[in-house]
Amino acid sequence: MTAVPETKKTERRISPAVIPMYIVTVLFVALPMVYVIGITFLMKDEVFGITNQVTLKNYADLFSAVNLKVFADSFVVAISTTVLTLLIGYPFAYFTARFSQKTRSFIILLIMAPFWINSLLRLNGWIILLKANGAINEGLLALGIISEPLKILYNNGAMMLGMVYALLPFMITSIYNSVEKMDWTLIEAARDLGSKPFSAFLRVTLPLTMPGVVAGCVLVFVPSMGLFFISDLLGGSKVLLLGNLIKNEFYQARNWPMGATLSIAMLAFTFVFIIIYKKVTDDKTAGGLK
Amino acid sequence: MKKTVLRVLSLVLLVSVLVLTTAGCSAKKQELVIFSWADYIDPELLSEFTANTGIEINYNYFNSEEEMLAKLEATDGGDYDIIIASDYIINIARSEGLLKEINKEKVPNYSNLNEKYLNQYYDPDGKYTIPYVAGTPLIVYNPDRVTCEITGYNSLWDESLKDQVVVMDHMRNVIGFTMKSMGYSLNTEDPEVIAKAGEKLMALKPNIRALDGDTPHEKLISGECTVGYIFTSQVSNVLMECPNFKVVYPEEGMGFGIDSLFMPKNAPHEDAALKFMDFMCEPEISARASIFTQYINCNSAATQYLPEDFLNNQAVNIPADVLGDIEFMEDISTEATEQMNAIWNEFKQS
Repeated sequence: MTAVPETKKTERRISPAVIPMYIVTVLFVALPMVYVIGITFLMKDEVFGITNQVTLKNYADLFSAVNLKVFADSFVVAISTTVLTLLIGYPFAYFTARFSQKTRSFIILLIMAPFWINSLLRLNGWIILLKANGAINEGLLALGIISEPLKILYNNGAMMLGMVYALLPFMITSIYNSVEKMDWTLIEAARDLGSKPFSAFLRVTLPLTMPGVVAGCVLVFVPSMGLFFISDLLGGSKVLLLGNLIKNEFYQARNWPMGATLSIAMLAFTFVFIIIYKKVTDDKTAGGLK
Repeated sequence: MKKTVLRVLSLVLLVSVLVLTTAGCSAKKQELVIFSWADYIDPELLSEFTANTGIEINYNYFNSEEEMLAKLEATDGGDYDIIIASDYIINIARSEGLLKEINKEKVPNYSNLNEKYLNQYYDPDGKYTIPYVAGTPLIVYNPDRVTCEITGYNSLWDESLKDQVVVMDHMRNVIGFTMKSMGYSLNTEDPEVIAKAGEKLMALKPNIRALDGDTPHEKLISGECTVGYIFTSQVSNVLMECPNFKVVYPEEGMGFGIDSLFMPKNAPHEDAALKFMDFMCEPEISARASIFTQYINCNSAATQYLPEDFLNNQAVNIPADVLGDIEFMEDISTEATEQMNAIWNEFKQS
């Protein structure tokens, strides 16, 4: 009985204006996805491309020792990136939101401005700064602080710097949005009722800004599983992350089915995390509001 | 009603004008469709060719040769007139019957070519290809900062080179030189040899400062690395910036590659393609192509047009007795590729 009004409702909601969007989504998102899933069940051709022989070998190969290690490494890198961006991004966003409207928009503009430049160019900027005869080493040498150029580039530290640098704006903007929307009178109320500043922050501000924190974490965590050019450029290609592994399968091993299988595995992996995040935040925001 | 008729009429008029003008264009202008890597041909040479012959050039790029082969298969060797690609992929295209035989009578400058670079494994009868440039990866190092003696691939494993070496981020080349350092061919498909090479390769990791196939020369010039095993044009770049750097022709023998011009089976503009091939075989043009790409020249008659600094450059002018001991990197079996890929992933991950 309840089904009847529901269908009426949905019928009313579909306007012809959304049809192009559905077509685009089906053509450019759903179909390629089906294609990717499809080739994970096929065999690599001798030279190039795929054969029509159906197999589950690619999924079995997922669990090779190297692949599992790469999954673990990528996971650690993604978690570290998320935690670091959160530690830097939260205070940044919090204090930005407390400035005057004018200053706030200016700071956010400064955060967004680098996005107008290609990220590869920005990373090359870091290389110019950090390389053996770059500005930092030359400066330290001229000041007599060091006698040999420091090896700053091409290690895990340089790679993490690049990851945090590239993804920090996502964290800042998400948290900023929820801090900005927060009702500050609630904190005043907490203080009036005798709460210490830190405890007011923990019990009022943090729960209220949790949606922003979680959105920021998802926005940082998901891409950091797949980014490959940062470890190539700043890590000297010595760190193999999931993104590099997938790129390698397509470009050097010419194994499309394996590359596709790894992509699907990565997708499944991140999907699980999004679900966990969602579950956790739903409880927390509910708890915070009540 | 009147309005619709008017509209339809004007539309018909517009379409017919468009059709007529485009048809007129294609009838007058001759075209040549080139397919290669971006920036692989000096644009000045291309505009000179157009000025001399009136043939317009349409230069299409590919990022990887596999992508080129896929397009060639999809169009059954049509669409493109001239393709420049490397030896192993040409061999695959030839085995699939995608190449067109060159009518040598229309390419009189073919006789200028250095025989050393003709009739190689990918074109044993010299029917399909014209060598463009050749190259070999070489070891180059900074003698001021390297304390050990460097004679070949095995020197890269020297303990004094810890965290100082850059080699290309390329599976086949790196596993290939490891096998050569052990006295095997770089095209070895024997699983035991590959496995042994894999073990040896893991010991190289502490010496690797970076893996880079695109800009390793910058890492050597900036002082980030002291030794590199890198491609010809990159070695040449290093020598131009840092003339004191030393080049090593590895004693275990060198890997080698030739990039060639060829016509696909159903090239739409064969005459224009043959004219272009002849043009590229002209001694002066060939010399300029080598200077532009910084690769080894394959044209005997071009030597007199090569400037002194090019001839003195050890990367692009390799003594004949050294160049005897070379080996092409050929396509290998799927099993061997898979085994190498597993080793490569482990090497990078370690």
